[in-house]
Amino acid sequence: MSKLAFHSPYSMKKTYSIRRIVSTIGWIFITIYGILTIYPLFWLILSSFKSNAQFFSEPFALPNQWMFDNFITAWTTSKMGVAFRNSTLVSIIALLFTLLLSGLTSYVLARFNFKLKGLTMLFFVVGMLIPIHSTLVPLFILMKQLSILNSYWALILPYTAFALPTAIFILTAYLSTIPKEIEEAAYIDGTSLWGVFFRIMLPISLPALSTVSILTFLHSWNDFSFALVFISKSTLKTLPLAVSNFADGFQTDYSLTLAAMTLSVIPTIIVFLLFQEQVMKGMTAGAVKG
Amino acid sequence: MNSATVKRFIAVALAPSLILYSLFVFVPVIWSAYYSLFNWSGIGQAAFIGLQNYKELLSDSIFWHSLGNNVIFVLASVLGQVPLALLLAIILYKSNALQRFLRAAVFMPMVLSTVVIGLIWNYVYHPQIGILNFLLDALNLSALKMEWLSDPDIAIFSLIPPLIWSFVGLYLIIFISALQNIPGELDDAAKIDGAKGFTKLFKITLPMIWGTIQVALILCIAGSLKSFDLVYIMTRGGPAHATELLATYMYNATFSTFRYGYGSTISTAIVIISLLLIGTSQWLTSRRK
Repeated sequence: MSKLAFHSPYSMKKTYSIRRIVSTIGWIFITIYGILTIYPLFWLILSSFKSNAQFFSEPFALPNQWMFDNFITAWTTSKMGVAFRNSTLVSIIALLFTLLLSGLTSYVLARFNFKLKGLTMLFFVVGMLIPIHSTLVPLFILMKQLSILNSYWALILPYTAFALPTAIFILTAYLSTIPKEIEEAAYIDGTSLWGVFFRIMLPISLPALSTVSILTFLHSWNDFSFALVFISKSTLKTLPLAVSNFADGFQTDYSLTLAAMTLSVIPTIIVFLLFQEQVMKGMTAGAVKG
Repeated sequence: MNSATVKRFIAVALAPSLILYSLFVFVPVIWSAYYSLFNWSGIGQAAFIGLQNYKELLSDSIFWHSLGNNVIFVLASVLGQVPLALLLAIILYKSNALQRFLRAAVFMPMVLSTVVIGLIWNYVYHPQIGILNFLLDALNLSALKMEWLSDPDIAIFSLIPPLIWSFVGLYLIIFISALQNIPGELDDAAKIDGAKGFTKLFKITLPMIWGTIQVALILCIAGSLKSFDLVYIMTRGGPAHATELLATYMYNATFSTFRYGYGSTISTAIVIISLLLIGTSQWLTSRRK
């Protein structure tokens, strides 16, 4: 009855108009915010096609002349090819290590009971509270003493170590949703634990592994602080470091710097456009668990 | 399968992760606590000086100033990112094409490297060629033009928009998934009771996702303490330490003035401060329940 009374034509009309105003304001706000949020990137890509002269005089205009040469010059003068190779190599090796190590750890944590299990889990949780930058100075000293400064290992090992906890949480949570019957048949058939891990556990964790892959790859690809502190040899510099040095060195040649920046963001934007939902879910899952 | 085989497997499978993780995450913290007791330039003999570095730290005005800047960053994230993300989430939590596009647009900066973000914003703020000053000129607001990053009084505040811009997407997605998890029956119940608009927002929606808001606040606090890249790229902590954060100060003390011992002291302080902050915020939010 009260429902009927509430839906009298008068009150409906009134709430509708208030709602419409609120939702219009909401949409105006969101559209403006949407434009603002995408504009810097749009501006970067457009400006990288401009000549220096036009970049100064008309920062908001479309390029008068599309200067594709900017990209070629940026690529050749800044050794971006080398930086691309370094970034790819380091990110992919760190990713493979992370997948293997976190896969093994998660298999053990999700499927076996042993005395120190709780402590092992706690160990990974506590480690996530340690702010990454507080390790820069001691890691620098440590790596100096291990003589691995200025090598790929100086990046691969810390990238892997810091990617482990998130990866382990995502994988362990995923594995615990999968019934144990799946691998029990294999044990009865006499498959070894390693066999079960490689032939059953890894393939069934594929959805979780792909989330972990995207996360780990983006983190290593975008990392700046480790590369800044541990790498000084120009032939080993990764993209973010190379781009930042390039910006310092070519202070006044803006369109060239912008072209270098644009080149460096293309791979991440492609990954994002292809795996949008997974990237967004993965990054939030990683953050919330951290 | 006998238990010895299983035990051996567990040990072998866990060992690589545990060793790597201890060596690169835990050992550094203990090492920096150890080196913080020394006066060391990075080469040659380190001289043991006890708690001298900590004494110096407590009376170091740049350290306190950096800590203050970190607090500004935390406040800016808590008061800027969380409400903005919440507002955006309430508008964008359904899934039509436009909403999905806007969500992706807001999230996009999360996947860009901080180097690119910092450099873009440097161009925005540049005193001669910056698009912000250019825009102000075009709008006849030239009086508002400022030296955004080189004026020590405002530089730290100029860093806040890029900070917010780059992380709002994360909180947006966290809030959207919380909003989507609110059971549909509640919506129906609200309709029957006649709760609409703001009543529904404050009486039903916000209380339902309060837990998520708390998580977001803790993330904000922890995340803002981690800022280093953005400030390093945009200002290097300058002008004259005006935008120095704990992490950039640690970097500068270690690698610009070659005081490894003092740098280690600052990094130990960062660990202690962030554990305290995270502990307090956990304690506060768990007491509320």
